[in-house]
Amino acid sequence: MELKSVMNRYGLKQKIFSIAPLFGLIALVVCFLAAATAKDLNIAYSMKNILNQSVVVAVIATGAIFIYTLGSFDISLGASACVSALVGGMVYNATGSVTLMFLTCVGVAVAIALINSVLASVFNLPVFVTTVAMLSVLNAVVLMLININGTGSQIAVPTDAVAGLNTTWFKLLVLVLFFAVCLFVFDFTKIGRLQKFLGGNPVCAKLSGINNKRLAIIAFVMSGIAVGLGSFLSITYAPTLTKNTASSVGMDVIISIVFGGMPVSGGARSRIYAAVVGAFSMTFLNQIMVMFNLNSGIGQMVKAVIFLIVVSLAMSNQRNKEILPR
Amino acid sequence: MERKAVVEIRDMTKNFGITRALDRVDITVYAGEICGLIGENGSGKSTATSIYAGMQSCDNGQMFFKGERWQPSSMMDALEHGVGMIVQENGTVPGITVAENIFLGESARFRKGPLIRRTEMIRKANEILKSIGADHIEASAVTASLDFQDRKLVEIARVMGKKPEVLVVDETTTALSQKGRDIIYDIMDKMKTDGKTVIFISHDLDEIMEVCDRLTVLRDGKIIRTFEKDEFDEEAVKTSMIGRELKGDYYRSDYDGSYGQEVVAELRQANLGDQLKNLSLQLHKGEILGIGGLSHCGMHTLGKVLFGAVKPESGEALVHGKPVRDEAYAMKEKVGYVAKDRDVESLCLDASIRDNISVAGLDQFAVSRFLILPSKEKAYVKQQVDDLSIKCRSAEQYVSALSGGNKQKVAFGKWTGRGSEILILDCPTRGVDIGVKQAMYQLMYRMKKEGKSILLISEEMAELIGMSDRLIVMKDGEIKKEFRREEKLSESDMIRYMI
Ligand SMILES: Nc1ncnc2c1ncn2[C@@H]1O[C@H](COP(=O)(O)OP(=O)(O)OP(=O)(O)O)[C@@H](O)[C@H]1O
Ligand SMILES: [Mg+2]
Repeated sequence: MELKSVMNRYGLKQKIFSIAPLFGLIALVVCFLAAATAKDLNIAYSMKNILNQSVVVAVIATGAIFIYTLGSFDISLGASACVSALVGGMVYNATGSVTLMFLTCVGVAVAIALINSVLASVFNLPVFVTTVAMLSVLNAVVLMLININGTGSQIAVPTDAVAGLNTTWFKLLVLVLFFAVCLFVFDFTKIGRLQKFLGGNPVCAKLSGINNKRLAIIAFVMSGIAVGLGSFLSITYAPTLTKNTASSVGMDVIISIVFGGMPVSGGARSRIYAAVVGAFSMTFLNQIMVMFNLNSGIGQMVKAVIFLIVVSLAMSNQRNKEILPR
Repeated sequence: MERKAVVEIRDMTKNFGITRALDRVDITVYAGEICGLIGENGSGKSTATSIYAGMQSCDNGQMFFKGERWQPSSMMDALEHGVGMIVQENGTVPGITVAENIFLGESARFRKGPLIRRTEMIRKANEILKSIGADHIEASAVTASLDFQDRKLVEIARVMGKKPEVLVVDETTTALSQKGRDIIYDIMDKMKTDGKTVIFISHDLDEIMEVCDRLTVLRDGKIIRTFEKDEFDEEAVKTSMIGRELKGDYYRSDYDGSYGQEVVAELRQANLGDQLKNLSLQLHKGEILGIGGLSHCGMHTLGKVLFGAVKPESGEALVHGKPVRDEAYAMKEKVGYVAKDRDVESLCLDASIRDNISVAGLDQFAVSRFLILPSKEKAYVKQQVDDLSIKCRSAEQYVSALSGGNKQKVAFGKWTGRGSEILILDCPTRGVDIGVKQAMYQLMYRMKKEGKSILLISEEMAELIGMSDRLIVMKDGEIKKEFRREEKLSESDMIRYMI
C-alpha cells in the first residue's frame, strides 16, 4: 500500500512499465550468465555466438521500427533480405568486389522497399497489402535466382572473401552506427517526430499538414537500408546462400519488436531501442533454453507463451490509462 | 417539504499520480431537481461525476444512490441500475450503426437463436430517437457518417432509452446548436417534473443559472460553495469559481467593426453536396469574421474547405489569391485550423502535450526546419502552456489525461503558437472556463489588431456577436444574412435567419 502510493506519487509506475523490456533483457542476461557459469561454459565464446545470432535481426528490426511507428506492418522483410543477399552474392561472384556486393545488397533492399511504398501510395492502398503481394513475388524471385545462377540449390560466395568482415567488431560497428543514425532520425528530426504523430492519429496528422505518403516512403527506405545491411551481415556470417538464407528473419523481426516493448499500434509511445532490446532478449532466451536442453519444439512453445504474455501486459498497461472520453 | 436525497457523494478523494483531482468532496443531489456543477477547467467536475457513473473508481470515500451504498462496476452497470451519463467528448463507437450504439452491450436482447434480429433492433432504436426528438437520425446509419451533434444525440438516446433515475450531462451543450440544446433542456425538464435527478455541468453561467435549481462550485478538487436558487448571482458565482474577481473586458468592448481592404482568404462559388451551395465569401486582413447557424448549415464544412482539407466539388478556396492545394500548403501560407472534433481531428490523445503542440510548430523552432533541439522545443512548448495556462503536471503529460477544457487549450495553442496569420477556428472555446475564455478572446482581439485574420465558426451566438466585425448566418449551405458589428445586434436577430 505504502509502496503503491509512493509509486503513484511520482508516476513511477508508467516509467517502470516503459522500461520493463530493458529489465527483461537484463534479467535474461543474468540468468544466462548464471547458467553458463554453473555449466562451466566458455562465456566469451557464447557471447560471440549470441551476437552472431542477434545482429542481423537487431539491425533489420531497428529499421522496421519506422514502419511499425506508422501503425503499419511489413511482412516481406525476410524475403527481401534473402533476395538482396542472393543478388549481392551474384554480384560478388561476377566482379570479385566486396564493396560492390555491399552496395548491391543495400540497393536491392531499398529498391524493394520503394516499390512497396510507392505502389501503395499510387494505388492508395494500405502498405501492408502491397507487402503481402511482395512476399509472394520475392519468394518466386528467390527460386528463380538460385535456379539460374547457382549450382541448383545455392549461390556460394567464397568464404575467404568475407572472412575478414565476419568479426565481432565489424558487426558491433555496423549495429552501433546504424542504431545511432536511426536514433537521430527518430528522436531528433522532424521525420521521426511526424512519423510518431502520424501513427498516433492519422486524421489529426492530416489536418496538421503532415504528408502521410512521403513519410511512409521514408520509413520504408529506412527499413530497406536496414535490410540491406542485414543481408550483407548474413553473407559474411554464412556465405553459402540458399533459399533458406534469412528465412526466419521475417518472423524474428516481428517478435523482437514486440518483445522490446514497441506498441503494436505505433504512435508516440514508439521506441527506437525496442528492436535491439527485443532481438537480444530473444537470443538470450533461446540460448538459455538450449542450455536446459529444451528441444526446439518446446522452445518454440515457450517463446509463443512469453510472446502472448508480453503483448497482453503491454496492452493492459495501455488500457489502464483510463482514457476518458471527455 | 422534505427533500429526498438521491445522489450522495461523501468524502471522495481521487489522485492521478501527483495530481489531486478530488479532495474530500461531498455532493448531495435531491429528487426532482437539476443541480449544476461549475468550476474552472481541471477542477474535477468530470472526475467526480464519472466516478459516480461507474467510469472509474475513487481512492477514498463513499457513494450512495437512493440511500443505498452505490458501487457501480462499470458505466454499463451504472446505467443498468439507473445512473446515466452523457460524456464531454465522443461517447459513441464510430464503426457501428446508430442502433448498435444505442443498444451497446445489449445485443442479447435481440437475439433469436444465433441470429440478431436487426430489423427489430433498428425499429426500437428509431422509436427511442423519436422519443427524444431526434427523428432526423436514421438508426441504420453508420455512426461515423454522422456529424458531431448527431453522434451526441445518439449517445443521449442510448442513455435515455434506459430511462435513468439520475442523468449526468457533462459539458455537452456548448458543442450543440440550438436544436440540440433544446433536446437536452427538454429531457432535463421532463426528468425534473417526473421527480428524477439531473446533474448538469456547463461553463456557460447564464445557461447554468437558468436551468439549475442549485449550483455547486468546485475549485482545485474541493467544494467551495453551494448556491441555492435565490442566492444565484453571476459575480458571486464567478468569484467563488476562480477565487478572485474577474476584471477587464470579456469580449471586446469596441463597436468599431472596421478591417483592412486586402482579401486574405476567400471561397469562390464553392459547391459541396448540401453543405455548400454556390457559396462565396471573403476574409479580410485584420478581420474577425463570425459564422453562425444550425449544426447542419455547412459552416463546419466551410472551415475545412478553406483549410484545404476538403475539396469542393466545384468552385475554389483561395488564400492570398492562390488556390489552397492541401493542408500543408495552407500552413505554409500561415493558415491555422482548430477543428471542432477535438479528440479526433485536433489532437492526438495518445501523445504528450509537447508532441501535440510542437507538431504544427516544427517549422518555427526546428533548426533548418529539420533538426529538433530539445531545449528549443521545450521553450517553444512552455511558452504556449504558460500563455494559455494549461493545467498539467508537465508538458510530457499525455493529452488523454487532461481535463476537457485543457485539451481544448492545447488544440488552440498548437495553432496560435506558430504565428498563424489566418486562423480558422471551429468552436474554439468549447468547454473552456470563463477565465481562459476571456484570455482567448483578448488574444483573438490582439491578433486582429496586429492585422491577423480570424474566421470564427461557432455554435455560441453570444461569442459571435461579442467578437465579430462581420457576422454571417448560414442555412442549408447558403449565406442567409450578413450583419455588421453594432451594439444593438441580438441573438434573436440571428435566430430569425437561422431557422
Ligand atoms: N486519467 C488521468 N490521468 C491523470 N490526470 C487526470 C486524469 N483525468 C483527469 N486528470 C486530472 O484531474 C484533474 C481534474 O480533471 P477533470 O477532468 O475532472 O476536470 P473538469 O472539472 O472536468 O475540467 P473541464 O472543465 O476542463 O472539463 C485535472 O487536473 C486533470 O488533469
Ligand atoms: Mg470535464
